[in-house]
Amino acid sequence: MKGLRLYLAPFAPDQAGAAAVLCELGGLVVIVDAGGCAGNICGFDEPRWFSRRSAVFSAGLRDMDAILGRDDRLIAKICDASAKLKKNFIALIGTPVPAVIGTDYRALCRILTSKTGLPAFYVDTDGTRLYDDGASRTWLALTRTFARQGKKAEDRVGVLGASPMDFGNIDMQAALKEQSARMGGARLLPYGMGAGFEDVLQMACVRENLVIAPSGLAAARFLQKEFAIPYKACCVPELIPGLEQILRECKKRSVRNILIVHQQLLAGSLREQLRRFLPPGTVIRTGTFFKMDRDCMESGDLKISSEEEWIHVLAEGGWDLLIGDKLLFDVPAGDIPFLPLPHFAVSGGI
Amino acid sequence: MTDKAYSITAGELAELSEGQLPDPLVSSRHLIYNSPAALAYNSPGAQGFGVKRAGLAVPGSVMLLVSPGCCGRNTTVLSQTGGYGKRFFYYLLDETDIVTGRHLKMIPQAVCRIVEALSEKPSMVMICLTCVDALLGTDMEVVCRQAQEQAGLPVRPCYMYALTREGKKPPMVHVRESIYSLLEPAPRRNSRTVNILGHFAPLTDDCELYDVLHSFGITCINEISRMKSYDQYLGMSRANFNLVLNAEALPAAEDLSRRLGIPYIFMKRMYRPEKMDKQYRLLAGALGQTVSLQEEKEAAAAAAADFRDRHADIRIAVGEACNANAFELSLALLEAGLCVTEIFANISREDFFYIRQIAAICPQTRIYSNLEPTMLYYDCSDRPADLTIGKDAAYYHPRAAHLAWNEDIQPFGFSGIRRFYESCQAALAQGGRA
Repeated sequence: MKGLRLYLAPFAPDQAGAAAVLCELGGLVVIVDAGGCAGNICGFDEPRWFSRRSAVFSAGLRDMDAILGRDDRLIAKICDASAKLKKNFIALIGTPVPAVIGTDYRALCRILTSKTGLPAFYVDTDGTRLYDDGASRTWLALTRTFARQGKKAEDRVGVLGASPMDFGNIDMQAALKEQSARMGGARLLPYGMGAGFEDVLQMACVRENLVIAPSGLAAARFLQKEFAIPYKACCVPELIPGLEQILRECKKRSVRNILIVHQQLLAGSLREQLRRFLPPGTVIRTGTFFKMDRDCMESGDLKISSEEEWIHVLAEGGWDLLIGDKLLFDVPAGDIPFLPLPHFAVSGGI
Repeated sequence: MTDKAYSITAGELAELSEGQLPDPLVSSRHLIYNSPAALAYNSPGAQGFGVKRAGLAVPGSVMLLVSPGCCGRNTTVLSQTGGYGKRFFYYLLDETDIVTGRHLKMIPQAVCRIVEALSEKPSMVMICLTCVDALLGTDMEVVCRQAQEQAGLPVRPCYMYALTREGKKPPMVHVRESIYSLLEPAPRRNSRTVNILGHFAPLTDDCELYDVLHSFGITCINEISRMKSYDQYLGMSRANFNLVLNAEALPAAEDLSRRLGIPYIFMKRMYRPEKMDKQYRLLAGALGQTVSLQEEKEAAAAAAADFRDRHADIRIAVGEACNANAFELSLALLEAGLCVTEIFANISREDFFYIRQIAAICPQTRIYSNLEPTMLYYDCSDRPADLTIGKDAAYYHPRAAHLAWNEDIQPFGFSGIRRFYESCQAALAQGGRA
């Protein structure tokens, strides 16, 4: 039964991924929900929320708003808030309620822009998909809304896909220092995690883009198509949590058949690191519950779509070492040793 | 544009009628600001008891959450760290489920799979539904009956419909009805048994309410959170009466009165000794008894006086994320001779009763709504506090001494008042301000 979860709690949903992208960009972010979704996003899926103030609001929808489609009230509330708060833009993030009642986000955004003078865009998340889908849509919406042709700055490199969902609450700028040196001292701009709204406005003026998570690929491809900015999809090794320890442990254990489970690019990058350390012939596969981009995968890599399938993969794979978030291994599938590789979108702050 | 958080003084507010609340204090008239101080409102389950945790109050029960993945996300914490490890299960809806309603056919099968996967058969399965099924108009009673037939154990729905939060039956009211819905009329009632309804955790062991009930000849006091087994829980239907300690349990008590013929009495948690005393007298009167709690009342009043004597000059900020009505507690503090500078709370009609009395004692006390958008700009340097009560007030005043006062185990009565002031004292001592 595909939807049934007996052992694994749900992963971070699309709306949380969308909100994570926007957290640092100074917008008026409205989660179009009744309250619970916004509470879940901030209270569980956004580690930065407890340490910094961010203008994330719930639309506070009530049953009659949904039944009667009282969008005029929502517009009035957003206009009222935008009149009181100084913000760069308005972003509407969808949830199951507007998805079910078929809210016309496009019309709402047009009206909001005309009434407030602020750029407004939406992300039509619905709570049934996963965080990377929401983040991907949001990167793309941001790029479409704000990227404008300008003079290229050859020392600037855009970083797409940075979010605590994939990398936890790290100091992204510091973590990218070595990569900057490897790229000839280029100024790396991790949008949404260190690089702010001013940098987003210059997205079309960078020399190239570095995509560190699959959620950044759609925006990178858009920028390549529209502004001829090349991109490279590769997670920086310094962003792999506990890399040194994982390498040490793998060497010590003399393993032959390894499965790494995380977001695709981080798992792929870890595989590259392991290949340098481990004897040739060691089979290293990656698997993910999240986006699997065809251009970034190797033959044998696994896209896992349900708990049932995951248990089957574990039981039948003949693995002698698993590497992934510890919560993923809380399933009945034999006693396979594992090394923890935290993934915030799986276990949150636990 | 503004750079100040909206607030109003108690004096200004008291001059208005209940229907004249300014828009910033009416949550349906503005966006809901989502700060850690508003977390208890936006996501009640994140701290304390939300619908999911409350729905598991029946001993030995498990829960199947039927929803899009987003609704179950914060349950990861409960599953991993809250001691609810193998009690939560999920059926994650996808778009096809929502469009076609096919998930409804899968639920009985899912319930059977859960029962098979558990080493011990659960006492019942609670099916928790969310906004999606509220909008789809799902008849979950029918689905639960089918699941019950197939799985061979009781299956009941509970509703986590955030959309109905300000309606007649909000989710936390509904779930209280759900957890008592399994009680059936007992062949014989026991005149010496009482059920305490309202909370999902017990009262503190030293609460005088237990002694009061015993002095009335009650030998068995049932609280669902102290029940060890399902059979014990079913025994609640033999109670002579229900004692309701939280207004959110009143519809559940009404339901039990209608279905099982168990009458109920309502008592409020109050932090003013005189009012608490009056309630105990009314309780005794309703049961044809008398009660004298002079000693307990004096101990509570003495605790308040002692605290006031030591800390008459401190500034206190009171929030709503605590085991108290923020306005009633503020009034109690003011009546005790203390200084409440700020109250952070959503105002209901009933609160005006307290606000007018607060205004009479301290009209300059400022009232804020945690949910109002301009709280983004709240600056504690405008009005510093020495002691905060409630997690929300603590968020605004990070440098003050903090008393969260939001434990699961519930304070009540004179012992609650005494404990409260002792805890305030301890919080100040911990913050180096004793």
